[in-house]
Amino acid sequence: MADENPQDSAPSAGEPRPSRRALMLGAASASAIVSIKPALAQTAGSVLNCEIPVPDPGRAGSYIDANGKVVPPGTKGAFPPAVRPFRGEEVKKAMNGANLPGTTYDQSRAYTNYIRRLQRGTSGFTCFASLQMPRG
Amino acid sequence: MTRYRAAPAATLRIVPLDVLTLVYHRASGITHVVDSPVPELIEVLGLNALTLDETLAALAAAHDLIDPDRDALAARLDELAAAGLVETL
Repeated sequence: MADENPQDSAPSAGEPRPSRRALMLGAASASAIVSIKPALAQTAGSVLNCEIPVPDPGRAGSYIDANGKVVPPGTKGAFPPAVRPFRGEEVKKAMNGANLPGTTYDQSRAYTNYIRRLQRGTSGFTCFASLQMPRG
Repeated sequence: MTRYRAAPAATLRIVPLDVLTLVYHRASGITHVVDSPVPELIEVLGLNALTLDETLAALAAAHDLIDPDRDALAARLDELAAAGLVETL
């Protein structure tokens, strides 16, 4: 029985090789590299200078609602785009309860929710993901 | 025409880590946290020095390339060159 199930059987010569995977180049504006220099890597709570735009340049001008969703400009109850990208260090502090610079409490919460929802291939994703990595 | 070539494999230590990959560059002592398609690019550029179009073709040959966007690839390669993981010839 199992041999008849294509998901269980070994790939034969005519089928795609298992190593062939879908690949996305991502938006031209989305950075895919965050570099950690030795002096920073050795410092506890290292300052990350990577940047996270809110929202990403592909959706510039859009507003961010309280849940972090990107919504059309002018949506009631949503916040306008951040005036500048946030640095990794600022986002890290915001994740620990501080406000993002130049924002109100609710605005900071909305932006932080947006950052938490970042997907790979979006500007800021690599930066945010690297903030999540434990260091020590 | 600019050709791109990955840093020699012996100078790189590449460690997949969940959705991201760590690339330790021995020559500079810098660790790079990279997202796809960077590891795939380092792989195809480790064999031969390729032009932008050849790199796009090599990626498309090895993977199901969802967005074969030349500008996005150029941006990735520029970023890799700036990080020192790829050299331009």
